[in-house]
Amino acid sequence: MRILLLAFCLAARAAAADPKVVLVVTADAADFVHCAGGTIAAMADRGAAAHLVRVTNDEKDSWRLSPEETARRVREEVEQAARALGIQKVHHLGYRAGELASVSPTELRDRLAFYVRLLKPDVMFLPNPYAEYVEALDRHYTGSAAEEARRAAALANYQPPFAQVGLAPHYVPELYYYAAPVDPRRREPESTATFVPQPVTREIAATFDRKLRAALALRTINFSLAMRIRQRLEDTGRRLPLLDTVDDAAVAKLVEINLRKLAAIGAEKTAFQLAEEFHYAGLDYQIPQKYLIPPR
Amino acid sequence: MKVPVWLILTAAAALAAGPLPIKDLPPGKVMMVIQPHHDDHTTDYGMGGLIAQFTDAGYESHFVRASNDEKDGAHGYGHNDLINERECKAAIAILGMSELYSLSWRNDYMDPVPLQELRAQLIFLIRKHRPDVVLTHDPWGHYDRNPDHRKVARAMGDAYWLAGLENVHPEHFALGVRPHRVPYLFYKARVDYGKGHEPNVAVELNESQVRRKMRAYSTHRNVYASPAMARSVREQLAQEGLELPDLRGLTDEAAAVEMEEWHMDWISRKRGRENGVRYAEVYYFVDEFDHLPGLKEYLRQHTVQR
Ligand SMILES: [Zn+2]
Repeated sequence: MRILLLAFCLAARAAAADPKVVLVVTADAADFVHCAGGTIAAMADRGAAAHLVRVTNDEKDSWRLSPEETARRVREEVEQAARALGIQKVHHLGYRAGELASVSPTELRDRLAFYVRLLKPDVMFLPNPYAEYVEALDRHYTGSAAEEARRAAALANYQPPFAQVGLAPHYVPELYYYAAPVDPRRREPESTATFVPQPVTREIAATFDRKLRAALALRTINFSLAMRIRQRLEDTGRRLPLLDTVDDAAVAKLVEINLRKLAAIGAEKTAFQLAEEFHYAGLDYQIPQKYLIPPR
Repeated sequence: MKVPVWLILTAAAALAAGPLPIKDLPPGKVMMVIQPHHDDHTTDYGMGGLIAQFTDAGYESHFVRASNDEKDGAHGYGHNDLINERECKAAIAILGMSELYSLSWRNDYMDPVPLQELRAQLIFLIRKHRPDVVLTHDPWGHYDRNPDHRKVARAMGDAYWLAGLENVHPEHFALGVRPHRVPYLFYKARVDYGKGHEPNVAVELNESQVRRKMRAYSTHRNVYASPAMARSVREQLAQEGLELPDLRGLTDEAAAVEMEEWHMDWISRKRGRENGVRYAEVYYFVDEFDHLPGLKEYLRQHTVQR
């Protein structure tokens, strides 16, 4: 029994070090890039086949573009961003951005569970539904559905027809919950030290340039961000010299400042320069540390 | 998994938090209070003082009450709605607010209300009045058992920024309103309902603001200041041969009002004492660029006046 347990632990440890398939779930085009892009790219570098499931169509966030045109452009841009990170394929679910509150959580769960069973990931990235003060609630709904999907995908009695067409139950052993660093308590340990995802940081120095390239690909959202900042400042009698002329170079500079600072925030209180923060559940999520047998 | 030492230190630091920073009013001209209920200018026994402070500073201000408050009071649904609306108008007038919107969703049955429908109403009102500041219920508060609180908070969590996007409810623009994102928020939640809502600022109140907050609170006679409560307290004291001299000669109703006002005075002093001033209220404040954690410091450092 002891040997079995140890063997299982070592197998899980090995899997943790070298994921074969990574499934990234994102509510919108920017969130997974800004919060997890560097870590995803590092896994792709180590040979993982990474897939992105993008839940909404991002139709709302643009500057002077119709929802239809916005959705069309962002779809292309998110494909480019994903490629820059080494993601092999993007699966677009196409829900209307900002309207997830009216989508059945069960429907969303089952659509995500479909991809879990289809792709059989060892690692899953999902928006942290417990992160507080996150502005876009689509991220909250997506994270919640993804968390449920991970559970449902492993249980045979969820969507039995999936199994009939060859999609057998699949258990994802490693989870990375990501969120923009707006929650003042995000780095506090969770309520228990076992069975619950805990805060971790991952260094992204080697992949930061590709994360930045991915972020720059999101031109529609970036331009909207720059124009909205400029307008807010203008409306209140202020200006940002960088945005006196909002051209490609100015927007790129703004994106780079944003990403470097986010990576610096991720690295705060660690030995790293550039990092990303997660709530992580891996082997310890299944077996508390105190029950693990150290190798002799 | 081993928990890094810095995590433990961070958690310990959070628990040992001292006084909160004292927050001045953010710049602007228009303020809205968007809340589920007629009496939620008293949420966690606060807000009234800050509302008075905004109106003292010349802010135009509007109160939005999402529910019809039919369950609050002992007069039956229809009458409760009418009495609570009347008392709400009187209370917010004491705080200097100019207008009341009653959205009149069915009280304590807001859970099944379509979120987007409520949200659309709030987005429209935000576009109409273009508030610089909104005081509302914290969407991230934990353990709030009141369905109306949860619903309004969640709808506001979307509405304050979606109102700024042209592709959200473009039909509104036919009425002459324009997109508007609310730059500053003051959140409040029931702090006795768990650790979900932890204030990050304190607002210092003056004597007059506390007095008006006390009067606004006790104006809600249909739900607070019950004569039966005052009678019971006085009877219990009398059994022990005691009385409260301040209540001598007052009717039970007047005594109840007095006691409710003492409570408002007490909580304002308590929050003040905790934060190094005489009177205070505490809030979770969201600043204009807090949604851009990677840019807010850069914007603070590099923005210049025109
Ligand atoms: Zn209430």
